[in-house]
Amino acid sequence: MRRLLAWPAAAALLALAVLLSLAIGTRPVAPDVALNALLHGGSSPDALVVRSLRVPRTLVGLTAGAALGLAGAALQAVTRNPLADPGVLGLSQGAAAGVVLALALGAGYGFEGTVWYAFAGAVAAACLVYGIASRGRGGATPVKLALAGTALSAMAAGATTVVLTSSSATLDRFRFWQVGTVGGRDAGTVVRMLPFLLAGGVLVLACARGLDALALGDDTARALGHRVRTVRAAAALGATLLVASAVAAAGPIAFVGLAVPHAVRRLVRGVGYRAVLPLSAVLGAVLLLVADVAGRVVRPPSEVPAGVMTALVGVPVLVVLVRRKGAVS
Amino acid sequence: MTGDRRRDRTADGTATPQGRGELRDRPRRTRSTHTHTRTRTRTRTRETVLRPHPLLSLRLHRRSALVALALFGLTAAAMAASACLGRTLVPPDGAWRALWHGGTPYDLVVTELRVPRIVLGALVGAALGLAGALVQTVTRNPLASPDVIGVGHGAAAATVLALATGVTDSPGALPAVSVAGGLGAAALVHALAWRRGMQAGRFVLIGVGIGVALSAVVQLYLADSELDAAEQMKLWLTGSLDGRGWEQALPLAVVLAVCLPALVWAGWAARPLGLGDETAAGLGVRVDRTRLVLTVLGVVLAATATGAAGPIGFVALTAPQLARRLACTPHLPLLCSALTGAVVLVTADLAARTLLPPLEIPVGALTALVGGPYLLWLLGRGPRQT
Repeated sequence: MRRLLAWPAAAALLALAVLLSLAIGTRPVAPDVALNALLHGGSSPDALVVRSLRVPRTLVGLTAGAALGLAGAALQAVTRNPLADPGVLGLSQGAAAGVVLALALGAGYGFEGTVWYAFAGAVAAACLVYGIASRGRGGATPVKLALAGTALSAMAAGATTVVLTSSSATLDRFRFWQVGTVGGRDAGTVVRMLPFLLAGGVLVLACARGLDALALGDDTARALGHRVRTVRAAAALGATLLVASAVAAAGPIAFVGLAVPHAVRRLVRGVGYRAVLPLSAVLGAVLLLVADVAGRVVRPPSEVPAGVMTALVGVPVLVVLVRRKGAVS
Repeated sequence: MTGDRRRDRTADGTATPQGRGELRDRPRRTRSTHTHTRTRTRTRTRETVLRPHPLLSLRLHRRSALVALALFGLTAAAMAASACLGRTLVPPDGAWRALWHGGTPYDLVVTELRVPRIVLGALVGAALGLAGALVQTVTRNPLASPDVIGVGHGAAAATVLALATGVTDSPGALPAVSVAGGLGAAALVHALAWRRGMQAGRFVLIGVGIGVALSAVVQLYLADSELDAAEQMKLWLTGSLDGRGWEQALPLAVVLAVCLPALVWAGWAARPLGLGDETAAGLGVRVDRTRLVLTVLGVVLAATATGAAGPIGFVALTAPQLARRLACTPHLPLLCSALTGAVVLVTADLAARTLLPPLEIPVGALTALVGGPYLLWLLGRGPRQT
């Protein structure tokens, strides 16, 4: 029953967030005017603002948020770790370092020029963090994964800084992208992002049953007839694709992937990934849109990047999770 | 002064390094309790006891004294090299004369540009090394360091807030603000991580989270780019010694001097803590009080250093561990940690100035590039972590 009600509720939240994102900003537009402009067009200043500025921005927020929420849920399932998140695990900073490298080498601008570099960076970071954290006693514990991710993030950030100091042209392009913002992208970005998003999403969602079994432990999953390694690799690959495309489109936005799956689990009162994964995608989009809207209102003349707002929302969630009994063993 | 050599007997493979230190502390008890169970596998003299007066005896760990001397020489060498190298090459004798007598063509470069930042770098490095050693001793965790548990971010956030809201615009008040911010952040992390006792993993994770939140607060203010202070803040936040000098070095030197007696006490009081809380309490140490004082001392030093040079990561993490490995002591040696920190930071600053000639890399980025792999290695090393 709860699960059935969760879907309409999530959809309503999403519609509300989209409406807010279209209506609120430096130039407030009444919701009905915004809707009208969206559906019928028009040439009034309000309609222009909505159609040319806010619609692309909302679309980027939607797709990046959905990708991050889904990736966070998948990573938590793969690592069997409640603290897993693209930001905490260092994937986002790895992808960011890849993008900076691409910008510095002049390999390409815009989404399709950088996404492969972002993907390579995220994959490298994932392998490194998981490989290092699973060495030693106790395997990949939450603490070791988080610390390895932090160390890698710091390293990638250092490398990024070095590249940026040596090339002012790269710095200029990178400056606003770095902190994670969904503004200033055109609608084409979303279109180009879709194939990656679809590939990653399908890969992750196809693994949902396997991930459910994985939650019972490797041995049980194997006994239930799942190929543990295949499931893990496929889900991790899908999550990395999602993170890379989100980072290439919107910059490293942290904590969406951490907070959302936990909220979803509480909402549906269960851990079945066939329900958690899609709902995480929807609520991830909601969270990122709301964070973006909040960033427009907090300091009126200028805008606070969405990544900053999600960090402010996500850290309390992290603290609560860490304090919970048995989270850190 | 008479030298009294003491034989150190080491364990039969089961004693921990801390255990060995403990045995050295109390040789008489060692003899009475262990002679019949223990075979003497290895004997080596490690300590000299100085008795300048019949009532006073000082133990001297000879290797760490030698290492400290060597590190002192290394610091001096690094500082000298840093004074000579750069875009204008200054011959060593020219630098020397410019520093003490003046009247050379290098006066401006040496005395105005290089020496202040070298001195500041050495002081910041020493303060960070000390802070790292203190915090790691208290938490008994090589992964804990002031910047991992959010002190640096707290100091940064407080400084940025103070600059942005115009509470203070005099540079003299900034160290106080950053110390307050660092202490506040450490207290917050401590309070949030406390749940029927303290657990190292929880402490570090919450510290990392609070650090992220505080840097988000900083970003919040930086986004307001029309602010005059924004440029100043950005400069400060890169963690660089560029453009800093006496003005920042002086408050730091004062804080270090004020903390010196406390540090001497800490060097003596910190050792029993390494044995574990129960053992230390059994030896008559007031564990909670000592830990509190050591933590506050470490946080004050780290926050002052951050206030002077901006957030420079990983020096506080790596310097004590390097120093311990160099000095081969069971505890984290404070003096050696300070000197190692100074060497690391002066060298990193020299590299940051000279690696990409026309430009200057923020030294914080460089230390992160070197320190990140070290932290990863520490994590992947196996049985002894966390």
